[in-house]
Amino acid sequence: MEVPDGTNVLEAALSNNVPLEHFCYQRYLPVAGNCRTCMVEIEGPKGSMLTVGCNTKVAEGMVVHTDSPKAKAAQKSALEFLLLDHPLDCPVCDKAGECKLQNQYMEYGLYDFRRGVPRDFKGGKAEDIGEHVMLDQERCVLCTRCIRFVDEVPKTSELAIVNRGHESTITIFPGQRLDNPYSGNVTDICPVGALTLKEFRFKQRVWFLKKTESICPGCSRGCNITVEQNKGKIYRFMPRENSELNKTWICDEGRFSFNHWQENRVTEVKLGHGIRSLAEGITELAKLLEGISPDEVAGIASPAAALEDNYLLKKLFEKRFKLKNLAAPFWGKPGQADNILKLEDKTPNAQGLRLLGIDTEGKDLLARIEKGDFKIVIMMHNNPHGQDEARAKKVFGKVNALIVLSVHQTKVAEQGSMVFPMRPFTEKNGTFVNATSRLQRFRAAYEPENPDIVEASLWISRLAKALKVEGFDFEDTPAVFNAIAKDIPALNGLTFNSIPSTGKVLDLPPVGPEPFQGIKCQPNILGKAKA
Amino acid sequence: MSDFQPQLTKRFETKDGHTLKVFLETGGYASLKNLFAKKPAEIIEEVKASGLKGRGGAGFPAGMKWSFVPQNTGKAVYLVVNADEGEPGTFTDRFSMLYDPHLLLEGIICASYAINCHTSYIYVRGEFVEQINRLNAAIEEAKKANYLGKNIQGSGFDLEVYVHRGAGAYICGEETGLLESLEGKKGQPRIKPPFPAIVGAFGCPTIVNNVKTLSSVPWIVENGAAAYAAIGTKESPGTHVFGLSGHVNQTGYWEMPFGLPMMEFIEKYGKGMKGGKLKAVIPGGSSCPVLTAQECADLTLSYESMRDHKTMFGTGCAIIMNEHTDMAKILKNLTHFYRDESCGQCTPCREGSAWEDRIMKKILSGEATTKELDLMLEIADNMEGKTICVFSSALAFPVRSFIKKFREDFEKYCKPASVAVLEKITAN
Repeated sequence: MEVPDGTNVLEAALSNNVPLEHFCYQRYLPVAGNCRTCMVEIEGPKGSMLTVGCNTKVAEGMVVHTDSPKAKAAQKSALEFLLLDHPLDCPVCDKAGECKLQNQYMEYGLYDFRRGVPRDFKGGKAEDIGEHVMLDQERCVLCTRCIRFVDEVPKTSELAIVNRGHESTITIFPGQRLDNPYSGNVTDICPVGALTLKEFRFKQRVWFLKKTESICPGCSRGCNITVEQNKGKIYRFMPRENSELNKTWICDEGRFSFNHWQENRVTEVKLGHGIRSLAEGITELAKLLEGISPDEVAGIASPAAALEDNYLLKKLFEKRFKLKNLAAPFWGKPGQADNILKLEDKTPNAQGLRLLGIDTEGKDLLARIEKGDFKIVIMMHNNPHGQDEARAKKVFGKVNALIVLSVHQTKVAEQGSMVFPMRPFTEKNGTFVNATSRLQRFRAAYEPENPDIVEASLWISRLAKALKVEGFDFEDTPAVFNAIAKDIPALNGLTFNSIPSTGKVLDLPPVGPEPFQGIKCQPNILGKAKA
Repeated sequence: MSDFQPQLTKRFETKDGHTLKVFLETGGYASLKNLFAKKPAEIIEEVKASGLKGRGGAGFPAGMKWSFVPQNTGKAVYLVVNADEGEPGTFTDRFSMLYDPHLLLEGIICASYAINCHTSYIYVRGEFVEQINRLNAAIEEAKKANYLGKNIQGSGFDLEVYVHRGAGAYICGEETGLLESLEGKKGQPRIKPPFPAIVGAFGCPTIVNNVKTLSSVPWIVENGAAAYAAIGTKESPGTHVFGLSGHVNQTGYWEMPFGLPMMEFIEKYGKGMKGGKLKAVIPGGSSCPVLTAQECADLTLSYESMRDHKTMFGTGCAIIMNEHTDMAKILKNLTHFYRDESCGQCTPCREGSAWEDRIMKKILSGEATTKELDLMLEIADNMEGKTICVFSSALAFPVRSFIKKFREDFEKYCKPASVAVLEKITAN
């Protein structure tokens, strides 16, 4: 096989579908080589030699055996050693089902029990070490992935090994807590159940979780995640590997936002104080809109909504109302940014608005609304004044009818004369464009129970049809995207399903810095191997 | 043995041999004239030609090691002296530093000149307080007399030497563990490659040499490689300070050329066995495979003879055991030591050392069966050569050799394997 220069033996094997067990090795962390499970036999001038695959660079003409009797024996014995004093409390361990020790033991392990002496546990159970993280020292296999992570990425170095030999344990430094903004990642990379998330402990067995590729909407970085749910309840967001963007990391803010998308939701179509069906609501709204001049309708698009939603709202304003009366005013205050992943802009799709040519400031539009220029305002998934009720009342005070399409029961939604529920990104298909102009796709993780909760793009299509505007025959959001791709040069040639799962960088000037400034997290593999 | 002149211990008996005055009176720092007359590369060649092997245990040719240092990389080159003498049964470096610290400094100057190093660290086992004081005093004296510092003896060569106290961990005698400790980190061996000669202390090319390796260098520089190679045997040239401990009438250390038969060593220097006939010898520190009395019959004190007997020269300090020795108890002592001293980094060593020790405990308590002896051998196989450093091999060697060569000593504690079947069902 052929691999790029500088690739290690382990990566070369894995990328060519040669199975090779490994433990302490994490692609985006420095090589530690301490678990000794990825042992391979390499032929050399002085006979063959056993060594670890992770710390051996591939060389021209190298002959490596991953399954020779010697290599296999070494791999098996390393696993036996790892399991020797492991508590085997898998039935109550949250890692069970995605535990590297469990999985690899099943695959490569030695099944004959022969410990013959009592277990000697390596420390305590369930120690509270941080805001989100619990430590079970007895389950720890001392691979040091977590230590290397806190040393290399957030550079906070809260964790270390104390003591020596078999008494070695991982712990936090005295007086410190594992409270850095990326602390959740240590639980993902922990190959066993030593580090677990308080937010996930004892909540759900991992084999019940259905995983859907998605994008974190927490800021304009657009970290790749998987939404993991069972029966329509989300249990966690997990980082999804994207070597060009978030590697295998996400921030805690994004990770723990999963509850936010399930709480305080708008669940019904409300007209005034009455609850209606979606069909009735759309008919009423169309009747209302038909009664007034197209100049008197303002639209508020959203950097939090998908490209498809914004595109159709823009199209509706273009065809039926006035395009100049559509904008997407800035959402709340800028948040905290760092040199790792977080960006100031806490919306996922401001670049998408720029791609569509929608004004992302909208100051002028808000001023005109406040002045009373508009009778009707259609606001989609936006909340231009955060939770500032007084300000919202002032701005929308002179509007006859505020039409709100919203995921959450916000203050503005309370003020709306017609409120339509909207699906969040976890329940819909769509795309976002992040700050570095990467177009990324997310898919619906599950269908909401109430069929009246529809995707914004389909809501707009239905409204357009009710208003007898042509060109809104879209079956689903992917179809909308495919239409956008034909319309906008930067997206030409793409279809919803052909967007790579790690996204595609568009020809659009980036508005944010690349991630991991000043952090060495070069992947240990330099590229996809050539077969 | 009469026709050899001691190189390493000649001042041990001399009054105030550790002072610069007496050192100079007895021919100290005489090698510097020859040293500075030659180019560094010539010194490396000279040491290569002398056949001097590293005295730390592995016996790697010293000159060869020096030649691995890349020059003109823009980085500093460091020489680190491994004075963390901690191998069980080994006790000679401590006297070198105590009685003749200037000889070590002279060796450091020679080696530093050869590898173009201007800063050298002596990493001393923390417990050696006296030695540390002597070394520091010697460094001060040498500085005042311009044997250290800027422009040494007008040669244009600069060298500073610092003493660094370790905290007494066996693993810090492993060269990369030592470097980590020197840098102020936890003493854990580094994964190789890169090797210290390329990336060593503080990210710079570094040579780590044992005290006696360096102490041997001045004589070579002064008298030439050929003269050194003429001493001892062909494959083990030169002299060494050999130690004896255990069941002999006289324990101690003696400098002599390589090649003396082990039995003669015991008889002549150790004044014969104490308390019974010879049973076993651990030839060079606890990690060397043990030898039976029979194997010792034609063993000589040399790298090649040890290798031919499938053991190692190690540190050259032998532990002698008589016929009444219980080898199982000795091995328990060793497994306990290695369990305690494993740095805990690599899985096979961390878990294996503790496992071996627990099985030994079970054996001595009479609970084990003969099957567990075979398990111990298998664990030893699984530990050897599978880790970052050689520590786990250093336990695997004694475990394997003890059980294979003295199995009856272990079996007397064990129940027959067949009894175990019933117990296995009830246990666990």
